[in-house]
Parts: sequence; C-alpha cells; structure tokens
Amino acid sequence: MTFSDETIMAYVDRELDDATRAALEVAIATDADLAERVARERRLRARLHSKFDPVLTEPIPERLLAAAQGTVAKERTDNIIGLKRIPAGHWSWRQWSAVAASLVLGVLIAPLLRHQPSEGALGLRDGEVLASGALDRALSKQLASTQDANSPVHVGISFLARNGGYCRAFLLRDKSAVAGLACREGESWRLQVLAATDLGTSGSGEYQLAASSLPPAIEQSVNALIVGDPLDAKGEAAARGKDWRP
Amino acid sequence: MSPPDLSAELVTLLPRLRRFARALTRNPHDADDLVQVALERALARAHQLRPDAALAAWVFGILQHAWIDELRTRTRRERLFAPEESGSHVGDSGQGTQVELLSVQDAMGRLPQEQRLAVALVLIEGFSYKEAAHLMDVPIGTLTSRLARAREALQTMLGES
Repeated sequence: MTFSDETIMAYVDRELDDATRAALEVAIATDADLAERVARERRLRARLHSKFDPVLTEPIPERLLAAAQGTVAKERTDNIIGLKRIPAGHWSWRQWSAVAASLVLGVLIAPLLRHQPSEGALGLRDGEVLASGALDRALSKQLASTQDANSPVHVGISFLARNGGYCRAFLLRDKSAVAGLACREGESWRLQVLAATDLGTSGSGEYQLAASSLPPAIEQSVNALIVGDPLDAKGEAAARGKDWRP
Repeated sequence: MSPPDLSAELVTLLPRLRRFARALTRNPHDADDLVQVALERALARAHQLRPDAALAAWVFGILQHAWIDELRTRTRRERLFAPEESGSHVGDSGQGTQVELLSVQDAMGRLPQEQRLAVALVLIEGFSYKEAAHLMDVPIGTLTSRLARAREALQTMLGES
C-alpha cells in the first residue's frame, strides 16, 4: 500500500481517520522509507516548536498585561506631550484644540474649568503654554508642605533647574488627573510637559507626588532639569518668599 | 462575556498569542505590538463574542486580521515584505544552536504570507484543519495544499532533502 505525502502530513497533524491511521502505522512498522518520510515531517514540527515554544515561558511585557485588562500602560506616549515641541508662533484656536485633544485636556481640564468658570488653568503666549488661573496661583503661592488636601491643584516637588530657575511638579485633579511640570520664567510658569496619570484618582486622599511616584514622562523631565536635591519645606518657603526669582 | 472574564481569558492566552505573533512577524517587538492591537480589538468587540464561541479561535482570528492589516499597510508604503524580512538577522550570533534557530525564522519569513499563516496555525498553534480553514476563510483543501507547499519549502530551506 502506498501513502501520499498529504496522508503523511495529515498523520503527523493528527487529522487522519482511524482506519487510515491504523493502516499507516502498520505500514510504518515494516517500511523504513515510509518511516523516514514520517520522521522527516516530525523533525520539521520539532524544529518549529524548538524555535517558537520558548516564547511561551518568556516574561510577559507589562504593556500586554495592561492591554489585556483594558488599561493603558502609563508609558504609552499618546498620553504624553512634551511642550517644548510645540511650534512657536501664534496658535489658532484649531491648533490649540488639536493639542488639547491629544492631551485629553478637553476632558481633564474641563471639569476644573467648570469649578473656575472665569479662568482656565493653561494659557498660551507666543506659542508657549503657561499656567494661568488656579494653576498659576497654586504654583506661585501653594506650598507642598502646607497645602490643602482638597485643593484642585496639588503641588509636588520643587527644585532648582540647570538654567538657574525654579521648577515645580503639579497634579491637576478632578475625576481624572493630569500631572505636569512647570518652570518659572519671568513672571510666568511655563509648562514643560503634561501627562495623563492615574495618580490622585485612587480616592485615598493621600496624594503622593514625590519624584519616585511621578509619571515617567514627568520624572524624565525632572531628571533632565534638576540640579542637586529637590527643595525641602524650608527651601520651598524661602523660594516663594523671593517670588521664585533665583 | 463580561469584560473582567474576557480579560482573564486573554491573560491566559497571552503566551500563545505571543508565540503565534512571533511566528508571523519575526521581530519580537513587532510581534508584541501585534498582540497588543489584537487585545485592544478583542476587548472592544467583546459584545460580538457569543457565549458558545471558541474564545481562543476568536482571538487568534483577530490577531491574524490585525497582521494582515499591518501587511497591507506596509505594502501600501511600498516596503516590500520579502526583502525586508530576508537575512536581516544573519550573523547575529555565532552559537550553533542559534544559527539553526534563526534559520527557522528566516525560512518562515520567506514563506508567502498565506503559507506562513497556515504553518503558524496548524503546526505551531495546533489548530485542527477545520479550525484553521475556518480562521483563514478557505476550504480545507486549500488549507492542506498550502500546508503541503509550505512544508516542502521549509524542508528545502532548512536543508532537509
């Protein structure tokens, strides 16, 4: 009895009906050529498995576990925008809307605006994004050491940057939260980076915004800018006393 | 299926989904990107999953379509698949076993996409002919002839006479 290549492939793929399989197995036992044809197909399967099976025991990347849970990993870049990359020049409302959409600012800032109808947290001047309203006031006046836990702006670490000016990390919070880093330039706080974050939405009331718990994009900016250690409570109060002038 | 149940099932399937994607795409990072797209699509389409449906086949089908979409996008960019996929890893390693393993991946990468898919589904992931034909939306005879051609091509490329 002769067996086609298709039959042999179906055999190693466990797709043969019982009768044909039994006949083939009898033939394999007595036909060395046939046995070798089967062995050749099995070797191919074995080589494929030896190549790809190790993937099964590799550690699974965090981003895939997050995706399976329907949550987006924090380092996903589409939640982060480096504000230095925003082109200089006057922004049209359309451009501003596009940036706001990419930042999810429309979602995140809108509730804040509703509480403060006459002013926004961010403003634009000469193509730069500046803190305004409640955010500007908090960055200028609020001390991390004494701030009210219910304030819409939570100020995190403050530090002296390489250019000699002060920078402060902050968290704007409502139902969702956006974290950012702003640096003092003249009389304004210029935004360096904003990132959507789940910090501050845990409902615990304890908002940790130490350098170690900042969103990665903010932490990177801090690391790129900071000189020495973050200000302690005394240093923070002294800097405010000088109106954040270096 | 409720989203938490589906998420739990997807986590269980993750190792196999990663292996399947690795067999299709060669580059581990591209493979994981593909898995991520498939997971996102699966969760977005959870309402389409009938309670009696085979979950694994459903998710593998989503990953397969994501891969085909990606290939189409690449083709549109006129980055031809075969030249990009051939030989870029040659010489990565001097170790004997890895040379062989890389050649398996090289050989897979040189198969036409429908043959590579057939091999990944049946020989690597262990789907039955019926399931694989259904996933590829072709008759079983088409699947088995693709498998036969793929096997011959792989045997030749891997030095089996």
